[in-house]
Amino acid sequence: MEVFESLGKIFNVSLIYATFRASTPIIYAALCAAITQQANILNIGTEGIMLVGAFTAVAVSYFTGSWILGVAAAMGGGAVIAMIMAVGHIKYDSEICAIGMGINLFAIAITKFLMQVLFNTNGTFSDPAIVPIPTVHLPFLEHIPVLNELLNDWCFTEWFVIIFIIILQFLFYKTVWGLRLRAVGQFPMAAQTAGINVNAVKYQAMLISGLIGGLAGAHLSLGYSTQFVENMTNNRGFMGVAAMYFGGANPVLTAVGCLLFGFSDSVGARLQAYGFPAQFVLMTPYLVTVIVLAVSMAIKLGAVKKKQSSLVTG
Amino acid sequence: MKKVLSVTLAGLMGLSLVACGPSASEVAASKEADATAAATEAAGAAEAGGDTAESDGPIRVCIVYSGNLGDKSYNDSCNAGAQKAVEDFGIELKSLEGTTAQEWEANLVAACEEGYDLIIGASSNNADHIAKYAPDYPDIKFAVIDTTVDQPNVQSISFAQNQGSFLAGAAAALFTQKTDIEGVNADHVIGWVGGMDVPVLHDFYVGYEQGAKYVDPDVTILQAFAGSWSDPLKGKELTLAQYEQGADIVMNVASGTGPGVLEAAKESGKYAIGVDLNQDNDQPGHVLTSMVKRVDNACYLTIQSVVEGNFQGGTTQYLTLADGGVSLTDFSVMREALGDKFPEDIVEQCDELAEKIISGEIVVENYEGFGPNA
Repeated sequence: MEVFESLGKIFNVSLIYATFRASTPIIYAALCAAITQQANILNIGTEGIMLVGAFTAVAVSYFTGSWILGVAAAMGGGAVIAMIMAVGHIKYDSEICAIGMGINLFAIAITKFLMQVLFNTNGTFSDPAIVPIPTVHLPFLEHIPVLNELLNDWCFTEWFVIIFIIILQFLFYKTVWGLRLRAVGQFPMAAQTAGINVNAVKYQAMLISGLIGGLAGAHLSLGYSTQFVENMTNNRGFMGVAAMYFGGANPVLTAVGCLLFGFSDSVGARLQAYGFPAQFVLMTPYLVTVIVLAVSMAIKLGAVKKKQSSLVTG
Repeated sequence: MKKVLSVTLAGLMGLSLVACGPSASEVAASKEADATAAATEAAGAAEAGGDTAESDGPIRVCIVYSGNLGDKSYNDSCNAGAQKAVEDFGIELKSLEGTTAQEWEANLVAACEEGYDLIIGASSNNADHIAKYAPDYPDIKFAVIDTTVDQPNVQSISFAQNQGSFLAGAAAALFTQKTDIEGVNADHVIGWVGGMDVPVLHDFYVGYEQGAKYVDPDVTILQAFAGSWSDPLKGKELTLAQYEQGADIVMNVASGTGPGVLEAAKESGKYAIGVDLNQDNDQPGHVLTSMVKRVDNACYLTIQSVVEGNFQGGTTQYLTLADGGVSLTDFSVMREALGDKFPEDIVEQCDELAEKIISGEIVVENYEGFGPNA
């Protein structure tokens, strides 16, 4: 009986929101990587874009007292970083992975440096003057027991991510621009022949990716928490890239992959309290990453093979 | 044009590779810093008129941290002691930060090669590396805080964190019964969130558990590790999970992960216990007390021993509750926040328990490998 009681404490209503809360930053990161992936650019720099966004958001929110300006500045900062990558990759044809890793290291260093210059502090910057992204309180839910616990007082950006997934899904698969984007990603020469300006589309994809990455960072430092900590992304950007692979750059499937990560993380957090070895629990999100990628790659390879054989026989 | 660009880009890529190894850049940075610091210190020492034991310039001290400064906890406490030593003795100080085991080892090796007079490993994470390299550098004095390394040129200083945690556990177990305080539920459940799963944290936990069970045998304690000293978001998530499982007060022993624990307390209207430094004011009204560990004293005393020439390698100092090495804060911030509702009996009981521990009436257990005789 005690086992069931414990299970009830692990798998309860609050786990659903905990899963979503832990997944949201990864979903933003994954969408940031997904849009460039559609144009066949692997955005390894997601981590760095997020970190710069997180810092900009806190800094601007602190100095102006407005979270909207903070978020906007974060998106702008993310876009600037993304455009640096875009110019290097598209105009000068350099290896995107090298630029991406460079950006990630640069982001850690520049945020650490600016934290010392602007705030005269190391490691952690938290201050009551930082205005966080508000939570959405729905008064009519207050008297509905389960839904109130489940849906009330979500952070604004947590609601927005759901809308955002739908917008991107629509953009990719239902608009002319989306069709062009995918054409550029899959067969740039054909796209060019059809009169599409390939580089322009790639630049647009990188720009939007930067805006999303900045938003991801702002959510991390103004929504999920109200502080900036050195390297606070802690590999969430890379997990986003992994989830993007899992979903094949399809926004909805990608989000499902992120929820899987969030779920394993949240269950782990609860399992630890009952004496599960911490080493094993802390390993689970990464274990899930490896398994998920292996499975999704196997499916993809199978599909490619099938396509090829049908081409031969057809 | 293209050629120039490709050369520049290749150069940039090479640079970013160098940046991968923090030790390399750290060494370069430290050399530069040393050059300037040495110049200013030399002038300072000349004025001081040979205050130091050695005549050829100031004593050079390097501290290798496992984590970053600015954690408002363990590392900052250590740094405070070192800064005091800089003021008092005019030593030359270098701090090397790092977040991964590779960086800690590389930083230590870099420090050894630089030929400092004293190298302090700030935490138990540095112990293995010091044990590995200290025999290779017999002329350098090493010190390690928070654990013991048995080498002739290593001085170890550790703390009876189990005793301090005993009091923190008792305070938490008493506090979770005060249902008239806002945010405290009827369940006798308390929480504990640690940084990395290292032995010294288990020494904290053993004391915390014993203290909590001493005042309330029925109390349930939830335990979790974040696996990092620098991931406050993870700390926050773990803490929220424990609150959802019925805890209303959670102790953090997590350095840079800890601010997330305290933030979770504030946001969900619950409570936390601080660690290492006095963290009562970090989220006022939500931090009941802090288990203060005088890492600053340990660091200062070690440097002082080298300055005064009585450094004793191969020895271990064990700072207990009786020595003032560990203690709880005076609850004053919480008293102000709660006003009339503040449970004075917790303070009284904690004081009583502290006396009993000092007199030996209560013997607080240690985790394997810790304690006065370890």
